[in-house]
Amino acid sequence: MKEKKISAILRKPAVKFLLRKVIFLFATFYVYVTIIFVLPRVIPGNPLATLLAQILQTMQVTPELVTAVQKRLMEEFGLHKPLHEQYLDFLMRIFKGDLGTSYSLFPRKVTELVFAYLPWTLGLLIPATVASWMLGNLLGAIAGYKRGGKLDNVILPISIVFSQTPYYWLAMLLLFIFGVTFRWFPLGGAYSYGMTPSLSLEFIFSYLHHYVLPFLSIVLAAIGGWAIGMRVLVIYELRTDYIDFADTLGLNEDKLLRYAFKNSILPQITGLALNLGTILGGSLITEIVFSYPGTGYLIFQAITRLDYPLIQGTFVILFSTLILANFIVDIIYAFLDPRIRTGYIGE
Amino acid sequence: MNMAKSPSIIKEIFKIKKFTISIAVVISILLFGLLGPLFYPRDPFEMKYYPERPPNPENPLGTDIAGRDILVQLLHGTRFSVYIGVVAALISLAIGVTVGSVAGVKGGLVDDALMAITNIVLAMPSILLMMLIAAYFKYRDPILVSLIIGVTSWPWVARAVRAQILSLKNREFIYYSRMACLSDLQIAFEDLLPNMAAYLFMAFVLLLSSAMISEAGLSMIGVGLTKGVSLGIILYWAQLFEAVRRGLWWWFIPPGAILVTLTASLLMLSTALDEYFNPRLRGGR
Repeated sequence: MKEKKISAILRKPAVKFLLRKVIFLFATFYVYVTIIFVLPRVIPGNPLATLLAQILQTMQVTPELVTAVQKRLMEEFGLHKPLHEQYLDFLMRIFKGDLGTSYSLFPRKVTELVFAYLPWTLGLLIPATVASWMLGNLLGAIAGYKRGGKLDNVILPISIVFSQTPYYWLAMLLLFIFGVTFRWFPLGGAYSYGMTPSLSLEFIFSYLHHYVLPFLSIVLAAIGGWAIGMRVLVIYELRTDYIDFADTLGLNEDKLLRYAFKNSILPQITGLALNLGTILGGSLITEIVFSYPGTGYLIFQAITRLDYPLIQGTFVILFSTLILANFIVDIIYAFLDPRIRTGYIGE
Repeated sequence: MNMAKSPSIIKEIFKIKKFTISIAVVISILLFGLLGPLFYPRDPFEMKYYPERPPNPENPLGTDIAGRDILVQLLHGTRFSVYIGVVAALISLAIGVTVGSVAGVKGGLVDDALMAITNIVLAMPSILLMMLIAAYFKYRDPILVSLIIGVTSWPWVARAVRAQILSLKNREFIYYSRMACLSDLQIAFEDLLPNMAAYLFMAFVLLLSSAMISEAGLSMIGVGLTKGVSLGIILYWAQLFEAVRRGLWWWFIPPGAILVTLTASLLMLSTALDEYFNPRLRGGR
């Protein structure tokens, strides 16, 4: 009885769609993690040597000490074991959530560090992504609908320029204009120096004040791409037979535009899933420009200090976050697309 | 037949305003980077001027914190950024076209396997992957940076090429080639690819522009070139030495401006070509 119920659920088109997505996302995660495992082992000039040099700098060096420290490090990272065992260990540790210990901020755990920085990144990234996606689609739809018109001729070139503007350069410009020249906004950080995060009004105000420029630079940099995509989609959509048919039937423009918009927004949701990585990458570097205490700043610090466990761990967690976000977008997609709900498109 | 038609196509393309403007901008920036160093023969690394000077007759774009001339850095930086972009774009194009056409022509299991790989790489955030790979190299020269960008940016090309091949595959002239017992490879290279030339050129333009942006991104996070100068490296130095907060606008504005102008013109170029070659976009509603 119970089995029948489960198989009935599994046969539902939307569930099937999501299951396929989950399997796919796990596969990508697995490949990504494997790449992280393989990279340090195939690239010459191993990170351990760097670490060894760093450790030995602080001590009186004798040959015995070098071999002792090296042996200790090999054991610590399990490098004395055969490769396949190392690989299994590595996978097991990642799935247990153990990403090792940071070199540069020893003895802090990588996960502890990343989770301290991640909320700042997400707090910046999620609202900025949603805002740019909505505004961009709206602008693009208008431009596409008024194709060749005055509005289109303004929106398209501006969108093209903004879509090609690197996030961090836009960030530098905004910081220079509104922070340095006009002094309207602070020059960096997520809150005023000397404050500790709390729910006081003063802190929230300071947070928002520091939030404006990074937020704006991500929104402005991302908006153009969405507008360009949406414009073309709407142009395509307005040429389909059903729109022509509805037009000949005498439906008013508002309705036509609404139909076209609804059908064009679906590919843009897929686009959102595909572009989350790019937006994340861009905002990581934006954080560096604003010295915003997010994961981008953490990666930058880790790279300058050659802190490999921290670099690896941050990327693993960022990638897991992306996969989760992707999955959420897929759920929304399955929910909105009637073809998936009803199983109209199977494979 | 195609050859006889091409001159008129070129003439027609040049009548499109978007196309002529963008190609003019692209060519002038390329000339700036390629020929500039000949007319402005200074060493981008020589620290012989007074540091942090705003633009002046001796240094038209000022100097950086170490007393290096910014204009000459820009000339060499543009050259290396374009070079990295072109090599990376060619690598992506080569991988993408190979994977896409083999998948499209062979079909069946090969197609499934190749598309699974393509989709997995596509789902991985390429800029993060690039940063991660680059972080493991101690020394990064232009070829290595291009390679890192190239091997992570091909999936959409593969998918697009495959889709094109699938739509061309069942045309009559392909059947004739099959009857003539041409091999799959011959069919791919002699029948299919020439038909996609315009499309591949557009793909190249887009890859080039995204590769240059990726290069700058890699530099900014600290994993760009370790030797030499690119537009991204100039921005990285400016960031590292707080050029923005200290108001040294001549240091960080020009490299970004060149990058944006060049990549936006490239995008405009491909949009113009797309509107010309793509019948679904041609003409008004």
